[in-house]
Amino acid sequence: MEHIYDVIIIGGGPGGYTAALYTARAGLDMLLLEKLSAGGQMALTSQIDNYPGFENGVDGFELAEKMQAGAERFGAKTELAEVYSVKLEGKIKEIDTSEGVFYGKTVVISTGASPRELGLEKEQQLVGRGVNYCAACDGMFYRGKTVVVVGGGNSAAADAMLLSRICEKVIIVHRRDTLRATKIYHEPLMQAENVEFCWDSVLTELQYDDKFTGVRLKNVKTGEETDLPCDGVFISVGRKPVTEFLAGQLELDQAGYILADESTRTNLAGVFAVGDVRTKVLRQVVTAVADGAMASHYIDEYLAEQM
Amino acid sequence: MKEMNMNLEQFNKHVQESDKPVLVEFWAPWCVYCRRIAPAYDKIAEQYSDKLVVGKINVDDVPEAAQKEKIEAIPALLLYKGGEVVDSIVAPDSKARIEEFIEKNL
Repeated sequence: MEHIYDVIIIGGGPGGYTAALYTARAGLDMLLLEKLSAGGQMALTSQIDNYPGFENGVDGFELAEKMQAGAERFGAKTELAEVYSVKLEGKIKEIDTSEGVFYGKTVVISTGASPRELGLEKEQQLVGRGVNYCAACDGMFYRGKTVVVVGGGNSAAADAMLLSRICEKVIIVHRRDTLRATKIYHEPLMQAENVEFCWDSVLTELQYDDKFTGVRLKNVKTGEETDLPCDGVFISVGRKPVTEFLAGQLELDQAGYILADESTRTNLAGVFAVGDVRTKVLRQVVTAVADGAMASHYIDEYLAEQM
Repeated sequence: MKEMNMNLEQFNKHVQESDKPVLVEFWAPWCVYCRRIAPAYDKIAEQYSDKLVVGKINVDDVPEAAQKEKIEAIPALLLYKGGEVVDSIVAPDSKARIEEFIEKNL
């Protein structure tokens, strides 16, 4: 007979490792599946200032390692496995992964979200060769160069700010005629001497020969197309939840987030959704960890009912 | 983990003279995504210890190696056979992806 865990947690971000801490500490037989390393999106943020308890802020990767270590102190187990597919309907849930099939009485989904792509031709192939999704990660390669930032929200504005300190020139391309980002970003960006704006514009093409050469823009009001030479493009047009592997087994909202309220319970008994992957108003580390704790409470309740 | 880092001499020696294929990760301390790869890369080094030589190049410490390979984005994993690069992958998003990359090239 295969081993059946009380709890299998998919995704090792702050929500996942909090669920791991609470369930391991409660003595449940649990396993966390993570495809790379702890932290999720948080691990790519070098300074987190809005997670309480750190007066000087905290590095996201370090916080992730601490969350993992804190859960492991109570026996939490992690397997570096990529989940391919799941069967969530029965009493025993099946998780098919790169490290084999795992079985659990309950499943916590904490797969988070990842950057949204523009869907342009060759976009995937050019990642790391001119196409970037993380200014904090790849900005350093564009020191003294000209880059385009696509998007108008907070993360696009923050990326543009960061890049303006490294790059020769930053051009923000946005499909509207004003930034959607919080007011706090507007003034410094408008003031920055090396930041320009292309309003009402979208990217229609990525241009390259043996290296990246630029982008083609289309003005959404006039339909006019122009070429904009640049050394790289940073795409910051929002995030999408990682829910494709669920293959329709859980109810999602229109944007693909798992429908669950504060209890983290989904439409399937014994399946819980925590962190950014769940429908919620505020996606933050601090709300993700709250979800992890809530999930453990309802897991206890569910397991007790099953006895 | 630290001892996987090679200097230029070690890099050249391994790549040119190793009987086994050589897997090299080009990385830098300021590269946040490189840190995310590290736990998986350590496991890979263990797992494939009989089939591969696994090392790392800090592009800040050994810029010559990074220039030679025209590294433009990190983390970049390059696989060498007989002194030549046979394949590369940039910023793999899972341990499974790194394994696929190795398996298809072994």
